[in-house]
This record gives sequence, structure tokens and C-alpha cells, in this order.
Amino acid sequence: MSWQSYVDDHLMVELPGGGKLSSAAIYGQDGGCWAQSAGFPTLDADQAKVFVSGFSEPGSVAAGGIKIGDRKFISIGGIPGECLRGRKGAAGCCVKKTNTAMVIGIYDEGVQGGDCNVIVENLGDYLIGQNI
Amino acid sequence: MYGGDEVNAIVIDLGASAVKAGYAGEESPKVHFPSCVGAITRDKDAAEAKANGGAGDARDVEMAEAGADASTTPKKESDAGSKSKANGSDATRDLYVGHFALNYRRENMEVVSPFDEETGLLSDWDLVENIWRHTLTDRLHIDPTEHPVLLAEPNFNSKECREKSLEILFETFQPPAVFLAKNACLSSYSAGRPTSLVLDVGYKSTVAAAVHDGYLLQKSVSRSRLGGEILTDCMQRSVESKGVNVRPRYAFKRTESKQNKGTFDVKDLDDYKGTTTESYHRWSVEQIVSDLKETVCRASENVFNEEEHANIPTVAYELPDGTEIQVGSDRFKVPEILFNPGLVQTFPGAEAIANPGGLPMQSVTSLVMESIARVDVDVRKELYNGIILAGGSSMLPNVRERLEREVLEQAPGQARVKVIASQNVMERKFGVWIGGSILASLGSFQQCWMSKQEYEEKGASLIHLKAP
Repeated sequence: MSWQSYVDDHLMVELPGGGKLSSAAIYGQDGGCWAQSAGFPTLDADQAKVFVSGFSEPGSVAAGGIKIGDRKFISIGGIPGECLRGRKGAAGCCVKKTNTAMVIGIYDEGVQGGDCNVIVENLGDYLIGQNI
Repeated sequence: MYGGDEVNAIVIDLGASAVKAGYAGEESPKVHFPSCVGAITRDKDAAEAKANGGAGDARDVEMAEAGADASTTPKKESDAGSKSKANGSDATRDLYVGHFALNYRRENMEVVSPFDEETGLLSDWDLVENIWRHTLTDRLHIDPTEHPVLLAEPNFNSKECREKSLEILFETFQPPAVFLAKNACLSSYSAGRPTSLVLDVGYKSTVAAAVHDGYLLQKSVSRSRLGGEILTDCMQRSVESKGVNVRPRYAFKRTESKQNKGTFDVKDLDDYKGTTTESYHRWSVEQIVSDLKETVCRASENVFNEEEHANIPTVAYELPDGTEIQVGSDRFKVPEILFNPGLVQTFPGAEAIANPGGLPMQSVTSLVMESIARVDVDVRKELYNGIILAGGSSMLPNVRERLEREVLEQAPGQARVKVIASQNVMERKFGVWIGGSILASLGSFQQCWMSKQEYEEKGASLIHLKAP
């Protein structure tokens, strides 16, 4: 299964609470893009580094925020070692850590944060189970 | 999905001092009682003789509602809702939940809290289950299978605690849906501000937490040991050091004197000695001193100065046994502890104050500053402009003005500082509950519930994703 189909068929789908993620992507923890949906603000290598250190030390993103491309989200926390979550107005994001990659989902108004968390983190858990 | 127009959700806020519960959509909680529970340990033989259903070690839940009913034998619950559960402990306990039950002195009744001393989180789950049962069945008289339940939880709640709460709720009470909401988020809803710094001055601790667009910023949560409990404790030490013996209500009898109508004779009773537990005595005295504190104390507008306040006229307060005491500078000194924790040491015997969790004795001002400092720089300005005061202990007069002044001194020059505190007593004391009432009635919230089906399919850990 190609990475792009992971994004298209497993992330950019209709959510239980209604609506869809506005964009999603799977990036390697080195900053390399494995697949992304149209409209995903491209992540650069520095931003990816911030995420990777933020997984183990969430305090570092707390002050600077979660930056994806040119969008910035306020870090609301997450689960240390597993994921980072952010919010900005009615929009938000979820960055889930797998063994070598990161699954990222961004949602805008009309979608519940909980729904984004579920879909992104479930895919991440699946990838972890596949040793990716 | 659930709630909305037809079915009201139930909102329960189980705090360290009191339990607040009621229907979503209402202005204030219908149910309000202390979260401490009276417990009498029965010895094993008597317990086995009483056990029903054949289960060896059974824990019976006795809800003695009317204290006026002078019978001391607890009434057994007859409806099928009360289940006997086998448990692992050696002795079993009779539990007495609620105002009436707790205020009636029983032999050997200990006062126990469902919260763990060190972590500040729920730990005695049998007590928690009984408290919830008392709330839902005895006080609200509802069938839990018909109403979704919104629980307020501490800002620093642990994963295990959250999952355990869900487990007990779904397994025992089987509501159609459940949600866990952080206290700070609910206080924020209650004040009508999506972004704010919530300072919750509670009983066992004070917590500062930043909320952004209705979401708690986890890293910003800071806690201090200071709270209503310490304030009451210091007040008690001060009063007792002046030679006043605060007698709990069961320790004396007041009768109108026959010779002089209008005056009262107070007689010391001693039938309670020997059978009343230390914890019950302490709890009873604490209720009295707490009322004293709430009545006479006010925060000083400027930094408290012992000499200046020595000249303030004293205020009289009558204890339940008729003793009149005069309270002078303590009126200001006790609330000052919130702003200057060092003052705790000046109260006689203060070294004995326990700090099992090892929380710092931080002043509320520095809690606020620390919390804001941990947050994204873009949000800080908005936080300074919206500091929400919550919690029962924040109701002392002048705390709002004083906090505003202190934060203004420490905040960066350009920041506009505003501390918001509702004038309405109900709103301050029940702020978290009211926020829950608002949240659970929002149309946009109805998709967020975690349903019983989801719990059965995916397990309790789904809650961490659905309710971050």
C-alpha cells in the first residue's frame, strides 16, 4: 500500500462526528515527506526537529507552539512520548509519533478535536504495530 | 446524538471539599454535599452474619437520610440498585454519605475522603462509587441508564484515574454516554471566556491553569498546597492559642435557663468521649472554624502589616456553644497566607501542618505568573487580560482586587491585567459545575460524548483521544 493511499483512504475520510480533516500527511521524523494531501502546508526540516524533541519534552513546544508550514497552533499538550496536539481558534492539529514517522492531521471549523485525534492516532498505532 | 432537547445530561463535580451535581442546562446544582464520607468498620464476624447474597466479604451501603430519625441502626437499601460487591479488604465498612448522615455522630465513625492525600486524585474507588450512587439514586432519583453523565475532573488528572472513572461509571451505572471535562475548561465556559487563566482556589490545593479556546494548555497547570484547608487550620490554631476551646456540636448541650429567660446554660456532655473518632472530632471542629473564617475574614488591600492591622477594631463571632470570641488582625492575616505563604509559620504549631503531596506552598500570585510563563508567547497577553477567579476559597472579600494589584506589579509593562470574579456567590462557588451545565447543553458538544458502545468496543483508553 502506498503512503499516499494511507493518507487519502485512511485519513482524509468522513469522520464520525461529521466533516473531514482539512489536510493530513505522513512525514518521516527526519523531515522527509512520505505523503501529504493537497493543501497540506509543507513541513520543513527544522519544524520536524521541533516535533521530534517535543514528543519527549512537551515543554519545548509549549512556549513556541506547533508550527506546520506557515500555520501556527497553540500547543494544548498531548501524551508525552506519543503525540502532540494543538489548537488555533476553531482549528487544530494532531501530530502522532510512530517508530520512524509522524502522522499529522489538521482540521478546521466544523470538526471536533476528538475526531481528529482518533483518526490520526489510530493510524499511528497501526503503523507502530507494523514496526514503521 | 444524546442530550439536547429531550434528555438532560447529568453533571457531577466531585471536589475535595464537596460534591456538586445536577441536570445540565440548569443554573445551579440541585445536589450539594460534603465529599467526605462517614465510615464505620465492622468486625469480620458481624459482617459475615450480615452479608447477603452469600458473598463472603460484602460491603453494604447504608444511606441514613434523616438525622432526625433517632435510630442509630443504618437502614438497608431495599431496591435492587444497591449491589453488594465482594472486596479484597479484611473488614467491611458501613458508609454514611451526605449532610444528614455525616452530621449525626455515630460511635467509631471515621471521616474518610475518596481522594489520595499525596496525589490529590481519586483513589478510594469504593467510596467514589457510593458517592455517585448516593448522588444519582438517592438525591437526583434518576435511572442512570437514561442520562449521559459529564464528570468534572482535576486539571492534573492521571490516565489511570480517568480510565478507572469510566470503568466504574460504565460498568456499574451504565449511562448511555460519558464525558470527562477539565475543571479549568468548565470554569472558563462558566465565565463566558474561551481563553483565560483560571485560578481555582480550592480546599486542598490551589491550581492555576491556562485555557485557550476552550482547551486546557496542559503545560500551564501549576499547583500550590495553599487552599481552604490550610486557611481554616491556621484560623483554628490562632483561635485555640488564645485559650478558646472550640466545642463540636455533639460535645455540649444548651438549654434556656429557667431563672433568666433569654440566657442559656451550657453543659458539657461526656457520653461521646471514647467512642468518637479523632477524625470525626477534627472534621466537626473544622466545620465550625470554617464558618468562622468565611464570616469574618477579608483580604487586605495592601500587603499585610502586623503593626498597622493591630489597631483594627475586632469583630465578634458567636460559636455554636454560645462562646463569643473577638477576632482582630487574624481577619486579615489568614487570607494573607494566600499571597504570602511565609505567614503560615507565624501561627502556633504550624510545623505540624501536613504536606503529604510535597506541593510547594506557593503564593497565588506566583502561581499565576508561573502558569502564564509556561504558555505560548502569543497567548500570554490575552491571559493577563482574563484571569478568572474560581473556587470556594476565592470568595473571601477583596481577594479579587488584591490579586489584580499584585499581578499588575509583576506583569510585563505593556500587559493589561484584569481579574474577573463573578459577583454572584453561586457562580463562584459552583463555577465548575455551571460550566459543565453549559457545556453539556451545547448543540455542538453532542458529538463529543463517548458512548457506551464505544467503551465496549474500544475500551476506556479511547477517552484520552476523545477528551484530551
